[in-house]
Amino acid sequence: MKKLASLLVVVAVLSATAFAGTIVGSAHDFSNKNWNNTGEICVVCHAPHNTNTSVTDAPLWNHEVTTTNFTVYSSGTFDGTIGQPDGASKLCLSCHDGTVALDNFGGTTNGSQFIGGGKNLGTDLSNDHPVSFTYDAALASADGEIYNPTTQNSGLGGTIDQDLLISGKMQCSSCHDVHNTQAVNGTKLLVINNSGSALCLTCHSK
Amino acid sequence: MKIKWILFIVLPGLCFSQSIVGTVHNLSVSGPGSVKALSETEICIFCHTPHAASARGALWNRTDPVSNYTLYNSSSTEAAPGQPSGSSLLCLSCHDGTIALGNVLSRPVPISFSGSGTLAGRGSDLTTNLDDDHPISFTYNSSLAASDGELVDPSLLSGPVHLQGDKMECTSCHDPHSNVYGNFLLATNENSALCLYCHDKNFWSTASHQTSNKTWNGNGTDPWFHTDYTTVSQNACENCHDPHNAQGKERLLNWLNEENNCLHCHNGSVASKNIEAMLSKTYTHNVYNYQQIHDNKEQDPVQALHVECVDCHNPHAANGGSSQSPNVSGALQGAPGIDTNGNPTNNAQYEYEICYRCHADSPNKPSSPTPRQWEQNNVRLEFDLGNTSYHPVEGPGKNTNVRSLISPLTESSTIYCSDCHASDGPGSPKGPHGSIYPRILKFNYNTQENTSESYFAYELCYQCHDRNSIINSTDKFGKDVHKKHIVKEKFPCNHCHDPHGISSDQGSHTALINFNTAVVNPDPNSGRLEFRDTGNYKGECYLECHGKRHGPKTY
Repeated sequence: MKKLASLLVVVAVLSATAFAGTIVGSAHDFSNKNWNNTGEICVVCHAPHNTNTSVTDAPLWNHEVTTTNFTVYSSGTFDGTIGQPDGASKLCLSCHDGTVALDNFGGTTNGSQFIGGGKNLGTDLSNDHPVSFTYDAALASADGEIYNPTTQNSGLGGTIDQDLLISGKMQCSSCHDVHNTQAVNGTKLLVINNSGSALCLTCHSK
Repeated sequence: MKIKWILFIVLPGLCFSQSIVGTVHNLSVSGPGSVKALSETEICIFCHTPHAASARGALWNRTDPVSNYTLYNSSSTEAAPGQPSGSSLLCLSCHDGTIALGNVLSRPVPISFSGSGTLAGRGSDLTTNLDDDHPISFTYNSSLAASDGELVDPSLLSGPVHLQGDKMECTSCHDPHSNVYGNFLLATNENSALCLYCHDKNFWSTASHQTSNKTWNGNGTDPWFHTDYTTVSQNACENCHDPHNAQGKERLLNWLNEENNCLHCHNGSVASKNIEAMLSKTYTHNVYNYQQIHDNKEQDPVQALHVECVDCHNPHAANGGSSQSPNVSGALQGAPGIDTNGNPTNNAQYEYEICYRCHADSPNKPSSPTPRQWEQNNVRLEFDLGNTSYHPVEGPGKNTNVRSLISPLTESSTIYCSDCHASDGPGSPKGPHGSIYPRILKFNYNTQENTSESYFAYELCYQCHDRNSIINSTDKFGKDVHKKHIVKEKFPCNHCHDPHGISSDQGSHTALINFNTAVVNPDPNSGRLEFRDTGNYKGECYLECHGKRHGPKTY
């Protein structure tokens, strides 16, 4: 009984900081945008029926998908293989590469609203942290300065692989919580508070 | 129980004892150094950003420095350092002292630091003058290693040192993320291990600067001011060299004045022999007289008269090994020289070869203090084995019957230049560093007229030539030549004998006879100034001396 009480305290503490968010009112709540005349939140990205399945694991996708051939990150000291963005990252880039209109969803292809400013990563991703690469124990071993994702705790309850990767790959969602369900308040939807560069150092063992 | 749970959750995020977090490269407010942000909590941000990074790579969050750097330059480096490139530019965006540490691309307003926010004026400020820093941004390939001769072929590089492409950059030695070994080095530099991954100095494995466990006794200048190591062996390269902000820019020496690199240890404070004390005497190889004249790529024979410790000693090679003449001693191991034929060598085998760098074929070399019948200042010619007479430096002498020799010396013995030219005084270090006697002689050697004969008067000669044999032999030679001239007339040995030798190009006298023309003149009748050797302890002289004509005098 005493043990259970302690656990509840911990859960309560964590809930207060990490699980309090919601997409409502967040940066990805487009329900009041003049280019979204549905007034809905989810519809810009998701629909319950007839969705786009061209992207692997795309969750009921309702937004036009980017066809950009990206310039990807490269570095002489990177030991993995970085291909074209796939999975969740490709979905993010379907707004954040600046080539697909925000309002190209639900079958619309002639939208006119494009993402701007620093949120537009462009089609040249060579100056952005790499995504869509397999981050496994072998990569960790070859690099020597990143943790083994299958054994290293993410700080969110499980391992890096369990909590931050999708099908063993680093994606945009490894750092960013698009739905703001667990993102740290006041950050760019970061899944872990980056004070002390804690998010970076979750994987990077420098 | 509760505490245990919380610790379990929190600790994984804080265990960074070996990481950048605990180093001075953590410029965030949590950093341990004195230079850090006033409130910024992120650590990586000072160099990296996940998005919209600099085209420089490595998700770089800083603008490149725009300085035109003064590059390392040395007559003895085969490498061609270019303007900083690759990762070196990244490092210099803080470490040249021109850019505020808080100027990062991802923040529209620079991150606040106290003071100027740059590294200017700090020890880690390399400035835009990189001529006092180890060269970077040069191609290090097999051909460089081959032309240098003392660099490891980069294809054989093992250990942590690595190139960026084929270039040496800051990151070849430093890991900005880890400070396990101090100065963010990739490996320990104890015994200069890091230096030696690339630098393969001839003779180094047996050099005293690599093997000695001597420590500094605390007197004088700290010879190891830029390391925490406490023995010669541990300091190794850094006994003399400083990889950054070196005073002696060319060759990255600790001190600008060449001799200071040696004498801060060889003054009794570290090395057992006090060379500095020898150099304070009246007659020295005066290393203090010359600054920035010696160049270790200088042409041999030496053209511009000078002397530095490294003209005779190779600090990468010297050791305490003993030797027999004419071979070089350990102290002279691996030094440059001129051989008996006048050809330069970078690895003298015989001690005299080292002396010949300056005292043989060089212009403006020191001249003899005694005017001679045959003037010769090129000692290589004086000691040549083809001469009829010479002191046995290059090889055994020509005279097979020298009765005055003190055992164990025999007619087949050889001697060093430094048997005569060396620091005076018992227990003094070997070699011609400094003496109270002119011409850096090890013992007194009177050359004046009217010298009362005594052991001390010709102490130098009497080390090898038995005084009693010289002045008390009872044959005609003993009585009428040596005793008469040396004891009764009070003439010094130097009047008749030229202690080095007679060049075969000039004369053919035996017994080192080469008259001092300040006192010995030709026989006015015959015009002859000559010594004729007519057999063992027999001969005749044609000359006039102090009004006494020998026309000839025979013995």
